[in-house]
Amino acid sequence: MDWVRIFENTMRAFVGVDAAYFALAAFGLNVQFGYTGLLNFGQAAFMACGAYGLGLTSQYFDVSFWWGIPIAMVLVIVLALLVGIPTLRLRADYLAIVTIATAELVRLVVRSVKFKRIFGGSDGINTFSNEFRALNPFQPAAQYGIWPFRYSGYTMFTLLVGWVLVAMIAVFVWLLMRSPWGRVVKAIREDEDAVRSLGKNIYSYKMQSLIIGGFCGMLSGMVFALDRGSVQPDNYSRDVTFYILTALVLGGLARVMGSIVGPMMFWGLYVFCDNFLRQLVQSEPLRIGGVTIIQSTQVGAVNYMLIGLGLILLMAKRPQGVFGNRQEMALDGR
Amino acid sequence: MKTKWALRALVSTCGLLAFLSFTGTQAGAAEEDLFVVAQVSNQTVTSGLSSRVPVEGVSVSVSDVSGAVVGAGLTDANGEVKVQVPSRATYTIKLDTSTLPNELALIAGTSDSVTILEDNFTTQIKRVSFFIGDSGVSNTTMVEKISQRAADGVRLGLIIALCSVGLSLVFGTTGLTNFAHGEMITFGGLTAFFLNVTLGIPLLIAAPMVVTLGGLFGLGFNSVIFARLRKRGIGLVSQMVVSVGLSIMLRNMFLFQFGGRTRPLDDFSLQKGMNIGPIKITPRDLTTAIISLIVLVGVALVLQRSRMGKAVRAVSDNPNLASATGIDTQRIIQIVWIAGGALAALGGVFRGLDEQVGFQMGSGLLFLMFAGITLGGLGSAFGALVGGFLVGVLVEMASLVVPSELKNAPALLILILVLILRPQGILGKRQRVG
Amino acid sequence: MVDSKPMSEVATKARNALAGVRPEPGVAKDDPILHVVGVQRHFGGIKAVDVEHLDIQRGSITALIGPNGAGKTTLFNVLTGFDPPDAGQWQFDGIEMSRVSAHKMAVKGMVRTFQLTKSLTKLSVIENMKLGAIDQVGESWWNALFPLLWKAQESLIEQRADELLTRFSMGRMRNEYAGTLSGGQRKLLEMARALMTEPRLVMLDEPMAGVNPALKQSLNDHIRGLRDEGMTVLFVEHDMDMVHDLSDWVVVMSEGRIIAEGTPEQISENTSVIEAYLGAHQGSAMYEETH
Repeated sequence: MDWVRIFENTMRAFVGVDAAYFALAAFGLNVQFGYTGLLNFGQAAFMACGAYGLGLTSQYFDVSFWWGIPIAMVLVIVLALLVGIPTLRLRADYLAIVTIATAELVRLVVRSVKFKRIFGGSDGINTFSNEFRALNPFQPAAQYGIWPFRYSGYTMFTLLVGWVLVAMIAVFVWLLMRSPWGRVVKAIREDEDAVRSLGKNIYSYKMQSLIIGGFCGMLSGMVFALDRGSVQPDNYSRDVTFYILTALVLGGLARVMGSIVGPMMFWGLYVFCDNFLRQLVQSEPLRIGGVTIIQSTQVGAVNYMLIGLGLILLMAKRPQGVFGNRQEMALDGR
Repeated sequence: MKTKWALRALVSTCGLLAFLSFTGTQAGAAEEDLFVVAQVSNQTVTSGLSSRVPVEGVSVSVSDVSGAVVGAGLTDANGEVKVQVPSRATYTIKLDTSTLPNELALIAGTSDSVTILEDNFTTQIKRVSFFIGDSGVSNTTMVEKISQRAADGVRLGLIIALCSVGLSLVFGTTGLTNFAHGEMITFGGLTAFFLNVTLGIPLLIAAPMVVTLGGLFGLGFNSVIFARLRKRGIGLVSQMVVSVGLSIMLRNMFLFQFGGRTRPLDDFSLQKGMNIGPIKITPRDLTTAIISLIVLVGVALVLQRSRMGKAVRAVSDNPNLASATGIDTQRIIQIVWIAGGALAALGGVFRGLDEQVGFQMGSGLLFLMFAGITLGGLGSAFGALVGGFLVGVLVEMASLVVPSELKNAPALLILILVLILRPQGILGKRQRVG
Repeated sequence: MVDSKPMSEVATKARNALAGVRPEPGVAKDDPILHVVGVQRHFGGIKAVDVEHLDIQRGSITALIGPNGAGKTTLFNVLTGFDPPDAGQWQFDGIEMSRVSAHKMAVKGMVRTFQLTKSLTKLSVIENMKLGAIDQVGESWWNALFPLLWKAQESLIEQRADELLTRFSMGRMRNEYAGTLSGGQRKLLEMARALMTEPRLVMLDEPMAGVNPALKQSLNDHIRGLRDEGMTVLFVEHDMDMVHDLSDWVVVMSEGRIIAEGTPEQISENTSVIEAYLGAHQGSAMYEETH
């Protein structure tokens, strides 16, 4: 077992691009679910809006990369209105059902043969990031950083962009949530009828929250697409939303740091677990008394199984996250 | 307290894994040989019935993404070429049209090369087919097409209705939207596979066993997880997120044990279709449709007539009032979970016969079930029957005009329209506020 | 204790005006702040509310009483926009309200509380209070990002909230989570929070339910205090002693209709009211309002 390697990978995962793009999307879910109480199970679709907003610039519109931002914003707003208008007046379940269904449909549409000319089908789009790469202040091929955090120049650039965006969104969400606006959305999470009786248009606040969260998801999708240099429809599957949700709950709902710490821990744990299991069964399947327990093809399934179990236990036992506030938690039981 | 809970979760998990490990069909296939099999057949269609004859001696080549040929060969007496490939990757299979026998050509509009994507290369043997002949559908009239789709839609609708009764009743009695309901269907399908294929028990005997196990599985959902959460006063939204976690966990357990490919059940898997008017249907599909219908009518009668059914409806209507009138609400909820699990498992068996068995077979239906119960009215059992059925028919009918890769799109459209126009659904009641 | 405060001019005027009103259902008042005509609400086949005419006198404390299932809460829900009526109009201070959505009513000066208290458990008491203020600059998401724009208003609001909390003897709880308060304290908080909207009409749905006797007396005083400041109070209540003690005018509902109106003294002698209460107790409990 190569423990040094596992340690290196785990450390890198803590601050990696994956943690950064998860953090951005987690901020979105936090605004929506943690603060406002809206269950958006289709954050992956908002991420796809960001990624395809960039992708469409080269694939369909043939315009500058920077147009990707307004295009993506329009897509996010259209999507938020589509899922929000019919559901935000109803119970929380309906939004969850409609977002999960819409996200799945968005994925099917962008990967379909029918719309291949626009969205690139199942191959996706990979021709949009040259302008972005040209801005890279680092040498793409060179190595940067100190052990164990060593990255290539290209990764350094997306890391920088990713974490700067995370910091900006963190400040943004922090400002929002300590303002009267934040007070209203938190109150909506607790009891929307009470808030309505006090003269607030809760429908409008919920829609704002949905769109703001959607923009966070959009930025997440952009960082992800830029890091990979491509947009792949299957990266925006239904389960991605749930992994981000797990990461968020791990860090703690309705707290700003939760959206940063959670994804970092999530990826640290995930990579550790994945590396450990893979090394364990690298040469031959793990057997106990002649019974095969686990083999290399099953490592992925085990990882995701653990994520599911983690989400169950966290949500049932510690919805305020691992570092949760005891007093707030006590209020939950009532 | 906390450790006890975690321990209990762990023990239940291990128990489930141990049970599933009997289905361990994947074990031992670690370093499996991978093949691409191309089949060339001559297809003739007469009055809606197609017959296929293998074509021998056609040259087929398999090349990888870089264009390098991995293998090639001539079709044998079965019309097949089998090429071993090094890994699950993307390959292009090309048929050399100049080697086709005289006067034969590929069906108009079909390509002489097929690309299989790495993502879809989940089975050990990946098959592609080339068809030679005039056209696959030349003799099918519009009427035949529509009636065939309608028949398929009725079958799908019956299965969805069967599967969603539990989803809707659980919502009605506890308020929970259970995102892990699809896994109950998968459980049914996989258990049927284990009993029928691995153990060789005839399906007619295995099916009742599957239904029983499905009921126990539903009971487990309630008593291991959701009953506890209700007792501790955990909010519905949190419970919903727990059900999402459960769905992810179970789905990956299924993947762990069953592997990623889809496989058929042994019994009744190869049947010739028979013609009923313009519709072609296998005796198997006809039988499952009839059984589904009988079961659904039975469920409706039980709900309408029996003492227990009335109690279930009373709890759905108003849990507080029901418990005030002396109904044991928790017991009713337990019964609903058992019944829902059993019906979903039966749906899983039928779905497995209809398509194949795989670890995602249930979660793929989840969205259609949601559309169905929303259309019918969340929480209303009759609504689930009617809504599920309508959604199934609609989705199949829509595939006449919508590309098949997007055939679920109309269901989303219904979902959104219902929520805008009549959020309580067809049979739901307007809710009282305050 | 209450009597030590002088009754406001409006309240005295209202009391005098009501003294001359004939005690019959749907009778017109000389200065109604709320004027209801033909409001109906059906649930399935049952007419939950069927009010032909109802005036609420400005500056008065009006009690709305009736047996369980009489439709009092439903009438509240309809009048405050929480439940769409099947028919009917009503005006608040001359403004047509029947098509106004719930959140705009509070802005126009008509605020309600709920039968089951809706304190926002994971917000502190002071945050609960500040939420009630209308027209806050920082409630737009864009302004929210620039504290300079809303800090001044926020401190004014906070000052007002603290004053109200002190008046309701809740000052020392200002930083507690609302979820830690007792049932009675929550009732008080909800009422105080409603006052943050600076209403002219306060509608209280069973303000005394679940409140211990000691606190009841002080709640009583607070409600009187509202009237004395010139607000109009409409409240639903079951406790007849309380109704007798507190109200200037009583409206009785049964099976969705208004069956009697009058001063507390007149109502306690009204035979049809006594019959309605007895009848409801003998009848089936199936339509009991459930919470």
